[in-house]
Amino acid sequence: MIATGHRGGVSLRHVAGLHRLHALTLPLVLLAGFVVISRVFDVSLDDTLIRATPFVFTGLAVAVPARAGLVNIGGEGQFVAGMVFAAGGALALDDKLPAIVLLPLLGFLGAFGGFVWAGIAAVLKVTVSLNEALSTLLLNFVAPLLLGYLVFGPWKDPANYSNLPQTAEFEDSARLPVYGLTQLHLGIPLALVAALVVWVMLAFTRWGFRARVLGGNPEAARRSGIAVRRTLFIALVAGGVLAGLGGMIELTGIEGRLRPGIGVGFGYIGFLASWLVGHRPLEILPAALLLASISIAGDSLQIDHNLPSTSVYILMALVVLAVLGLRGGTRRAEG
Amino acid sequence: MFVEDVLIGAVRSGTAVLFAAEGEVISERSGVINLGTEGCMLTGALAAFATASWSGSPWVGVAAAAGVGVLMGALHAFFVVTRRANQLATGLAITFLALGVTAALGSDYVAVEVNPLNPVPIPLLSDLPFVGPVLFNHDVLTYCGLALGPLLWVLLNYTRWGLVLRATGESGAVAFAYGHSPSRVRYLAVMAGGALAAVGGAQLVLAYTLNWVENVTVGRGFVAVALVIFAAWNPLKATAGAFVYGGAVSLQLQLQARGVDISPFLLNMTPYILTLAILVAATRGRAQRAPDEIRAVFGTAGA
Repeated sequence: MIATGHRGGVSLRHVAGLHRLHALTLPLVLLAGFVVISRVFDVSLDDTLIRATPFVFTGLAVAVPARAGLVNIGGEGQFVAGMVFAAGGALALDDKLPAIVLLPLLGFLGAFGGFVWAGIAAVLKVTVSLNEALSTLLLNFVAPLLLGYLVFGPWKDPANYSNLPQTAEFEDSARLPVYGLTQLHLGIPLALVAALVVWVMLAFTRWGFRARVLGGNPEAARRSGIAVRRTLFIALVAGGVLAGLGGMIELTGIEGRLRPGIGVGFGYIGFLASWLVGHRPLEILPAALLLASISIAGDSLQIDHNLPSTSVYILMALVVLAVLGLRGGTRRAEG
Repeated sequence: MFVEDVLIGAVRSGTAVLFAAEGEVISERSGVINLGTEGCMLTGALAAFATASWSGSPWVGVAAAAGVGVLMGALHAFFVVTRRANQLATGLAITFLALGVTAALGSDYVAVEVNPLNPVPIPLLSDLPFVGPVLFNHDVLTYCGLALGPLLWVLLNYTRWGLVLRATGESGAVAFAYGHSPSRVRYLAVMAGGALAAVGGAQLVLAYTLNWVENVTVGRGFVAVALVIFAAWNPLKATAGAFVYGGAVSLQLQLQARGVDISPFLLNMTPYILTLAILVAATRGRAQRAPDEIRAVFGTAGA
C-alpha cells in the first residue's frame, strides 16, 4: 500500500520498546497496574475479584466473536438479557426447586437470554448481512428498557412497601453459594473456568480453528469449504451465551433480586478488556482485574470526592487507547 | 392535530441526529467509521451548555461545541489514521472517554438553566397551514440542518473537494497516486464530522432538552452511525433517516402525552427497534455500495 505506507509507527514502537517485548509483557503490565491501583486506592482483593467476574464474562463475549472477525458490542444488552431471563426463572421457581436443580437451570436461562439477544444480531448478520457491530449496539439500548418495563410493571415486588422498582428478593435456592462469611461467590471460580474453556475451544478444537481461519482471511475460509454462515452464527451467539451467563451470575451471586441499574457499563468494560489484550481469552483475566480495580477505586472517588461513578471511564478509556495506539496496525485479532 | 404534533416533534428531535449523521457521512466517505460520534455529541453538548451558561449566549455555546468536536475528531483520526488502530474499538473507547469526562465535568451543570436557541418563525412561510408549524417555526440550527443534506450532496457530487473525498474513501492508494494525501483528507473529514456531531449535541441541549444530564445523548450518536449505512452514504437519505428516527421519538412522546396505556419503557424502545428495522430493510446487498475502505473495516467476514 503506497498510500498508507508510513513510518511513524516504527519509531513510536521503538520508543515504547514494544518491538521486542515478550508475549507475557502485556499481562504482567496489566497485573502490575492492578497491584498499584489496589495499593494506592486501598481496594480490597475480595471486592476486586467480585467486580472482575462479570468483566471476564463480558470480555469473553467479545473475544469469541472477534476470533471469527466479528465485532460484538452487544455484551451490555446480552448481559442484561441474561439477568432478565434468569430472574424470571428465579421468581417462578425459587420456592419449588432445590438449589442443586434450580441454579443450573437459571444458568441455562441466563445463557439462553444472551443467546436470544445475540441471536437476533446473528440471524440478521447471516441473512441480510447486517453489520453486527451496529445491530448489537442498538440492541444494548433495548434490553435495559425491557428490564425497566418488568420491574416497574409485572414483576414488581407486590409486598414492597417502599414502592421501589424491583422484584421480590429471591429465596436462597436461587442464590449462588458463597465462601464462608465473605461475599466471594461460586461465580468467581466459574469465570476462571469459562476463560479456560474458551481458550481450549479456540486454540484446540476444530471449530476454534475454523473461526480463526475465518477471522484471519474470510476469502480463504470460504474457498477451503468452511461453513461461513454457520461459523459466524455460532461465534456471535457463543458470545451472547457467555455474556448472559455473566448476567445470571451477577444476579444470583451478588444482587439476589432484579432492579434497574445492575451491571450498567459492564458490557462495554468487557469490550475494552478484550480489545486491551487482543482477544486472547486467558489474558482477559488480568485485564478484568485491572479494570475492576479501577472501577472499585472509582466507587471510593464517588464517595470521597463526590464525583460521578462514570468518571472512572476516563482512566479505563485512556488505558485502552494507549494500548490500541501503541499496538497500532493490527486490524484483526492475532492468533 | 395529532399528526401535526408528531411531525413537529420529528423535526425537533431528529435535528441533533441529523447533524451527527451528516458528519458521519463525510467521515465514512473518506474511509473512516467513527463510533466516537456518540462521544463527539456528548462533549459537544456539554461544551455548548457550559459555554452558553457562562456567556449567556447560546451561539457562543454552538461555536464552542464545534471547536471541541474538531478536537475529538482529531483524536479519533490520530489513532485510526496515524496509528492505524481498529476503528470500531477506538471509536467506542473515545465515546467511553467522553462519557467519563462529561460526567465528571458536567455534574456542576445538572440543575443549571441557559438561554436556549429560541424558535425563529420564518415570516409568511410559518403562517402556512400544517407545513408552517412543521417546517418553518424552529431554531436557526434546525434550519441549518435542513439545508445541510442538500448542501453536502452537492459538495460531494459536484465539486473537486467532494471528488477527492470520495476517491480517498474508495481507495487511498488511488488518491495518493493522483497527488492527494489520504491521511490529510481523512484527518480533515473526521474533524469536520466531529464538529457536525458536536453541533448536533449542542442543538440537543440548547434547543431540545434544554438541560444537561449525564449521558444526555443516550445512543443518538450510535443511531447516527447506523443511519449512515441505511442512507447508503447519501446525505439526502441521511436527512430522511434522521427524521424517521425523530418521528419515532416524537410518536412515542405524543402517545405518552395523550395517556395511551402502554408502558413508557416499551414505547421508548421504538426508536431503537425502528432504526434496526429500517437498517434491515435497507441493508440487502447494500454493503456492496459502501466506500471500499469502509468495507475493509466492516466487511471482514461478510456472510
